[in-house]
Order: sequence, then structure tokens, then C-alpha cells
Amino acid sequence: MHEYAFFLGCIAPNRYPGCEAAAIKTSEKVGIKLLPLKGASCCPAPGAFGSIDLNVWYAMAARNVCLAEEMKKDITLICNGCYKSIYEVNHILKHNDDLKDRVNEVLAEIDMEFKGSQDVWHLAELYYDPKICGVQKIRDSVTTPLTGAKVAVHYGCHLMKPQKERHFGDTENPMWLEELVDALGCESVQYRNKMQCCGAGGGVRGYDITHSLDITNEKMINLQEVGADALTEVCPFCQLQFDRGQIEIQETFGVSYGLPILHYNELLGLAQGMSPQDLALDLHGIDCTPFLKKVL
Amino acid sequence: MADEWNPKILAIICNWCSYAGADLAGGARIQYPSDVRTIRVMCTGRIDMLFIMKAFANGADGVLVSGCHFGDCHYLAGNFKAAKRMFMVKNVLKNLGLEDKRFRMTFVSASEGAKWATVISDVVKTVNELGPSPIAEFKK
Amino acid sequence: MAEKEEARVGVFICHCGTNIAGSIDIMDAVEYAKTIPNVAYADQYQYMCSTPGQGKIVEAIKEHNLTGIVVAACSPRLHEPTFRVATKEGGLNPFRFEMANIREQNSWVHMHDKESATAKAKDAIKIAVAKAALLEDLIPKSVPVEHAALVVGAGVGGIQASLDLASAGIKTYLIEKWPTVGGRMSQLDKTFPTLDCSQCILTPKMVDVGRHPNIELMTYCEIEKVEGYIGNFDITIRKKARGVLSPDEATARGIVGGGCNGCGDCAEVCPVIKPNPFEMGMAPRKAIYIYHAQVMPLLYTVDFDACVKCGLCVDACGDKKAIDLEMEDEFITLKIGTAIIATGYNLMPIENKREWGYKQFDNVITGLEFERLICASGPTGGHLIRPSDGETPKSVGFILCAGSRDNTGNGKPYCSRFCCMYSLKHAHQIMEKIPGTKVYLFYMDIRSFGKMYEEFYYRIQSEGAKFIRGRVANVLEDPQTRNLYVRAEDTLLGRPVEVECDLVVLAAAVQPVDEEDVIRKHFGVSKSQDGWMLEAHPKLNPCGTTTAGVFLAGVCQGPKDIPDTVAQAEGAASAASIPIHIGQVELEPYFAQCMEELCAGCGMCIDLCPYQALALVDRSDGSGRKVMSVTEAKCKGCGTCGGFCPGGAIKMQHFTSPQIHAQIDAFLCGGEQ
Repeated sequence: MHEYAFFLGCIAPNRYPGCEAAAIKTSEKVGIKLLPLKGASCCPAPGAFGSIDLNVWYAMAARNVCLAEEMKKDITLICNGCYKSIYEVNHILKHNDDLKDRVNEVLAEIDMEFKGSQDVWHLAELYYDPKICGVQKIRDSVTTPLTGAKVAVHYGCHLMKPQKERHFGDTENPMWLEELVDALGCESVQYRNKMQCCGAGGGVRGYDITHSLDITNEKMINLQEVGADALTEVCPFCQLQFDRGQIEIQETFGVSYGLPILHYNELLGLAQGMSPQDLALDLHGIDCTPFLKKVL
Repeated sequence: MADEWNPKILAIICNWCSYAGADLAGGARIQYPSDVRTIRVMCTGRIDMLFIMKAFANGADGVLVSGCHFGDCHYLAGNFKAAKRMFMVKNVLKNLGLEDKRFRMTFVSASEGAKWATVISDVVKTVNELGPSPIAEFKK
Repeated sequence: MAEKEEARVGVFICHCGTNIAGSIDIMDAVEYAKTIPNVAYADQYQYMCSTPGQGKIVEAIKEHNLTGIVVAACSPRLHEPTFRVATKEGGLNPFRFEMANIREQNSWVHMHDKESATAKAKDAIKIAVAKAALLEDLIPKSVPVEHAALVVGAGVGGIQASLDLASAGIKTYLIEKWPTVGGRMSQLDKTFPTLDCSQCILTPKMVDVGRHPNIELMTYCEIEKVEGYIGNFDITIRKKARGVLSPDEATARGIVGGGCNGCGDCAEVCPVIKPNPFEMGMAPRKAIYIYHAQVMPLLYTVDFDACVKCGLCVDACGDKKAIDLEMEDEFITLKIGTAIIATGYNLMPIENKREWGYKQFDNVITGLEFERLICASGPTGGHLIRPSDGETPKSVGFILCAGSRDNTGNGKPYCSRFCCMYSLKHAHQIMEKIPGTKVYLFYMDIRSFGKMYEEFYYRIQSEGAKFIRGRVANVLEDPQTRNLYVRAEDTLLGRPVEVECDLVVLAAAVQPVDEEDVIRKHFGVSKSQDGWMLEAHPKLNPCGTTTAGVFLAGVCQGPKDIPDTVAQAEGAASAASIPIHIGQVELEPYFAQCMEELCAGCGMCIDLCPYQALALVDRSDGSGRKVMSVTEAKCKGCGTCGGFCPGGAIKMQHFTSPQIHAQIDAFLCGGEQ
């Protein structure tokens, strides 16, 4: 069993508690144990904090890493925004001694020190990493194959970019999440401009909701074009944008898509036999029933 | 002797790659610590193990040998032959009870000015952490 | 011997204006130098390399009866030759000179710590004095220079260099891996900013290299091995099996009046069709082929990877008997004095930048493909069409800096230098040939740096091309119309733009040709950080390399347009002809020498020598004992033997063990042992 400190984030537990439940339960079945990261704060949100004051962003994210360093565990998480903050701050501080010293001055006030001894991973990359889990193990854990559904994949910007500071290789047309989706028995589909932003990140949603929905709307058109039955992603904030965003698009532009949006952990949960109630799919803005009817 | 201890570090470097790389660092005004003194040879292949042993015997706190990258030697493979010898130096130092980290061989090409600065900073940092060479202390 | 006489060293410290004096206390260093053992005289001057500076050395040698000179100044890689001349003028052997580098490796890298920079400079002087006291008289060895030169690569750079060398009366071998000379320039339609037809200005030169009596043109050949040194390189050439005999070769085989005359009857009957790389794969060729109508030499070539040996071509060729399908590679050895490398460039695999969709979308092409599509002798006869449906494009987008100036790790960090200008030229060509076509150029900066280039840029602007300043984020295809949507941020307006184009042209970054690294290593030339070949000095010796007698021309040294390539080729030809015209070169006398009384004859050095310069011979005193002996002309002075000799019997001149030991002692023990 590989053990990780599980950084929960804000949106998953508050808006989509099913993501949280699914993460803990599904990972256990493939040999990953998630331990609660006690005392964790907001990651803090890269757009909201990073755009205003980088030093606060560094210090708060470093504090979260310090908690994991005390546990002597690597961090794993299920949100691209959290990934951007915690992975990137950890990465930057490990490579910049001056900045590390400055951050540690701040942390010293609460008797903490950033050492740089632990790494940060997105749970999805652990699923894909053959040394930890791997696609085959995911495939083996499936009890209810989700056959007959076309599922499109959204990676999310903060997970993949900036390319230089990530380790995923091809960031313009990656395919590893598709492999993970195919392992569940459903068919992953390619669509136009797959790597486009969901429309929410980087403060766009907060700053200009119409422009933000415009981007989301384009994604929806591209997804409709290829006849996707559902969209899966690995970030609750992208999920929020696609899910609640569709309702807002209907209100603003008067178009309705009704495309179910599921976090990859929710999808994996379904395939491992968790019930829609356990996954709290009824809390989604867009009704998942058509998709569930197709696969269950 | 000044009150403060400054490490004495010797670098023996090849004319074609590392010396040119060090010149390039100068041209680019990349600042690095000033504790290293260099001796130029045409190729690291010229470096006799005795040169390094002599430096340590005379109280050097650290020695750096730097040449071309493998495959880029101006004399085909002098750096490779030197590297094999330098492994022996490490072993001898260990057997003598001297920290083998005091000796290092690196590969810096003529276009790697920035790398040269990093190497020097690294070597100086390592030697500073190790403190004065016990041989130098003994000789006092 | 130097040890016997009393060493009297003169030390000269250079201010180099404020370059050195700004960070190092020169007067303090002079006073210190006077206290170093063996120093008979110490002085300083503003610029030691100037005539008065050098005069100081000459005078001091005479006045103070000096035996060795130390100049503490810049890098010996810059001014060692200068001060050796001054030492010689003073009446000393020029090798009685040693340099202390207190600029590149001191004042410039410790600019904010005068105290420790001065301390380091004092040590450097002390170390140099220790060596200078032990320096010996050395006589450089003169070797004759072969009256022939080699040029590798027959693009416009190689062609120009060969013509210059040959016209200067030097036998020149021009090697080209393609079956024809011409290189990249022969693929271009027009050249900027004059809009001359590229083929029209190049073809006369191609013909000239073919018929110049001093040029031996060797197309379809590759370099197999390089041995020797300046003046006496031995080059082994692999003459790839061409399958076709030239008239001369046919005559040599006793076929009278035979050999290939370029009639093309063979290609007509050949049943195998392959893409033509000259047309960037957009036109077919047969397994027996020429690239295009103007090839030089006009000889067909058999692609033996594709040929099925049906023999139809042999029948079609008839009495000329030019085709030999059993031909094999031949090896030819050449003896040359100097060499010029002019290997040019390839486009980077721009499909790696997936965001722009090259090789995913049919209507995204590279600049070089565009050249062929717009060229009257190209696959479409000069009618610009888009690949997906053969329609004439009504709007064309150009993406500049495609892979250049790219620090993502997936591109090239450098500027490819000629893409701005050729994209401007492309824009002009479209607007001229297809009036009414909309042209959009997405750029980061327009670098129109050459003569009449900026004026050309204004001209294209006034002709109506739209310039959008912003790097393109991605290109999308409409699956129905196959049109492309180019997305970017217009950084001048500060807002995102999306432009629908029928055709997108990527001004892809250039990179060294794959084989260049092989050629580079054959000649022992270093590589710059960006992958191009490294010149001896970026400003003062841009054609030379660290290997004496090997010079660079054209893009292999870094991206260049045609005028710059031709200029550098002429420079390289001039530099390469100097040793040949002098007829002899002096080799630095850093040879190994065997001290026979110490040599035990173990022979371990012999395998270490990379140049087979060492051998075991009978000792000259007739004792019958075997000792090592050095062939001085083969020895390049690396010292690998001397660094290993268990008995310390090998003396590396100018880098002797006593000298290096003295340097180490000087640094660590204060000069005396």
C-alpha cells in the first residue's frame, strides 16, 4: 500500500463531496492509501492569491507542504488549482535557496520550516504511473465496466502548464488520461481543441463571467460535435465551470447542452461499483441520469 | 594568516573546453566565488595523479579537474583516460582518510560559461562545508 | 638548461582600462610581484597589448637581462600570441612567456570584491612566475602544407568558398552528400529583398564549380574518416554507389562515347515511384532520378533502397552503357592542407509543436514547402494551391518564430534570423500572384536587419499585408471546409484574435543537419550551446575553429541569410588559403619527449596515444634496451602519455612536470619548496 497525505482542497468537499468520497474509496482498491492532511488550509488558489501577492501564495502553500513533511509523506490531491499551487511552490522552493530562506522566515513565526523533502502528485498521475498503480491495475479494479458510452476528456491548464515545470512530456496533445478512461470500459473520444481552458481558471470566471462562459460554450459546441455522452476531468473547479456553467450558459445565451460532467474519480467509482448516491451525483447541476442509464 | 579561513582550492583545467568555458563566464560577467586558482594544461589527459596528490599534500582544501564532455575531447579521448585515473584518486583519498568530496572532476564545454560558474560555486560550497583540510591543519 | 642559469622573470600587469583596474588593485599587485622569488622586474601599464605596452616588455628584457616574461592581463586564448611576439622582439625565445589570466577569470567574475580579486590576482601572478622561471627555449616545428583544400557541403556557401579557393590557384575538393550541388538555395523561388530568382543567380555558380579546372566535384559522397593535422589532413571519402557512370568513368571502363548524358530515358521506363526530397516530398521521382532540371553534375542516380533491379533502365540506356546496377560504394583518400565545413541546416521537426497542427492538418505547411509551391519549376508549376483540395487560397496566415525564440524546451531558444524576411517575401509573392488574397503575419518582432531589409518591410506593409503582433496559441481545423482558425493574442491591442485562413505557413526554426555532429566530431570542432558549430572567437575569428586548419562557412556556424553566408564563405576561403599559400605552418612545439634514461620500456603510453605517435625502439646508446620514441609530426601535445607514464619518463614540452609541480607549490607553499 502506497501512503500519501491527501490534500483535499476547497471545492471538492464543499461543492462536489462525491469527488472526495470517490477519491478515498477508489484509490484504496488500487493500492493507494490517502491519509488526511490535518491542519491544511486553502492551497491557496493560484489565481486569487498568486495574482495579488506571490509571497503570501508561497508561504501558505509551503505551510501545507510542511504539514506533509512532518508526516514524512508525499502529498496527493485531486484538483488542478491545488496542484498548481502546491506542486509549483514546492518545485520553486526546492530550486531557489534565497526564496526558500525568505519563506522560512515567515514560517518561523509559526515554528515551521520548509525543507523540501517531499513531492507533490496529482492522484490521476499516480493512477497512471505503473510504479504506483498503472492502467492495468485500474482495469483490474473495474467491476461494472462502463461500456457503451463515449466519454470526452478535459485535462485542465494548471495540470499541464507551464510545460517547462511539468513532467508530462507532450502537453499539447497528451493521451494518458484517455488511457485511464478506456480502462473503465467506456470509449474516450477526441474533440476539437481538447486542450482549451474550461473558462474558469486564472480568475477569468471571477473577473468576466460572460467571457468565461463564452469559452465554456465553445468547448460545449466542440463536445456536442463528436457526440460525447459525458465529459470527465480531474479538477473540481473545471467541473464546477462545466457543470454549473451549462446552467449559466442557458440563462445567458439560451442554449442547453445537458452534458453530464464527472470527475475521473467519480467515473472510477461508478466502474468499481459505487452507487450514484454514494457519489452524490444528485448534487450535480446537470442531471447524470442519461449517462447512468447508458452505462449501468 | 587572515582571521577568517578562506579555502585554498586548485583547479587544473583543459585549454580547449573548460578554460574556454571559464573565459566565457568572464565575458558574460557571471559572478562566482573567488577561492579557486587555476592551472591550464592542454588536455586533462596530461594530469598526473601525482599533481593532485601533491596539491593535497601541500595543504589544498580542495582540487577540481575539469575537461571536455565525453566525445568532445580535442584530442579524441584524453578526458576519458583522465576520468579513469581520477576514479583512482578518489579511492586513494578515501584510503588516506581524506574526504573524497574534496576532489572533483567535472566536464564543462567551451560554451558553458554559466555551468562553469555553477561548478565553482558548488565546489567552494562543498569545501566550505567540509572545513579546512586536516593536512593543512597538521602542517600549521 | 633553464634550471642552471639564474631565472630572472619580468612581470607586467595590465589595467585594461578599468576592465582589470576596476576590480583589482594594480599597484598593490606590482609591489607584491616584486617580492616573489625570481622576479627581477615588475611594472604595470594601461594597455599591455598596445604598442607602448609591448615596447615595455622589449625594453625590460634588454635592460634587466630577463630570462622569462609574465604578463598578467586577459586570457592567453586572446593575447598569448601577441606577447610571444613581443618576447621574441626582446631577444628571448617566444616560449619563455607565460600569461596570468586576471581578466576573464578574475576581474570580470569578481567585480564587487576588490580585496579577494586582488588576492586571487597575486596568486595567479605567483603561479605564472613559478612556471616562467622554469620555461625553456622551444623551436616550433615547421611542416609543409599540402597545396589542396577540402570544402564539405555544396550549398551556396560551399560553392562560393570552392570558387574562391580554386580561383586562388588551389586544388579544391568539393564534397556533397546530395547527388547535386546547390543546397537549400536551389530550392528557393526568389530571394529577399531584391526578389531575384534564386535559381537564376545560383545556377551560373553551380555550372562554374562543375567546370573549374581546379575544382574536383564529388557529389553523392560522404566523409568517412579524418586523420592528420593542419597542412596534412588525410581524408577518407565514401563515394556512395550511384549506379550511373559519368562519361569520364565510362571512358575509363573502355566504353567509348558512353556514360550518362542526362537524357532521362532511364527514368521514363523506371517502374518505381518515390517522393522527391528536393520538392519536400510533394512531387514524385523514380528510383533512378535527378532532383530537378538544373542539377550539376547532370548525372542520374539510382536509389538502391528503392530499386527493384528490373533492368528496364539498363535497356533504355542502350549503347551508352551508363547504368551499372551492381555498383558498390568506393573509398577515396585525399590529402589536403586545410578544410572548410559548410554543412548548412535542416528545418526543425515542427510537428513536435503540436499546437500548430503541422502533419495533423493538410493545410498547414512549412516555409520551405511554400517555396516549392510558389516556384515556377516546382510541383505545381508555380500555382499556389492548398494541399487539402488543390484550391487557390484566399487568405493565408504566416506564423513567424515557429519554434524559434522558444524557451518551452520544445523549440529552439535562438532566432533563426532569416524567417522574418522570407515570410515578408512570401507575403509579397502571394499578393502579387493572387491579387485580393488576404495575408496575415503573426509575429513577435520583425527583424529586418540587413541592407534594404527594413525598406522591404515597409513595402510589404504598404502592399496590404496584415501584421498581428502575437505568438500563435494554436491552430484549429474546421473538419468540413478544412479551413484553419489561427488564434493568438494581439499584444498591441491587448485582446485575443481568431483569424480564419485557407492556408497556414509555419516559418519553422532551423537546426543543424543530423550528420553535422558526425562531421563535427571527425574534425574535432566544438559545439556551441545551441547546437551549431563553435567558431574560434565570436567576433575576431568567426570563420576559424579550435582545430587549426579547419574553417566554417554559412549556417553550420549559426543561422544566416544568403549574403552573410556568402560573405563568411569568402572569409573562410581567404583564411583557408593563407597556410596553403605560405606553404608551411609552424606547429606549437608541445611535443612529448622521451627521457630515455628514465624509460623502462613498458610501452603503456603507446596504447594511450590517440595519434599513434609513439613506438618502442632500440635505445640510441646501443644497450639493446627498448625505449619509447615520439614521431614529432604526429604528436599533438595532449600529454595523455605524460600524465600516465609510471616512471615519469615523458617530458611534455611547455607543460613539464617540474613546471606544473612548481605552479602547485607556488600556490600552496608560497613559491619556494
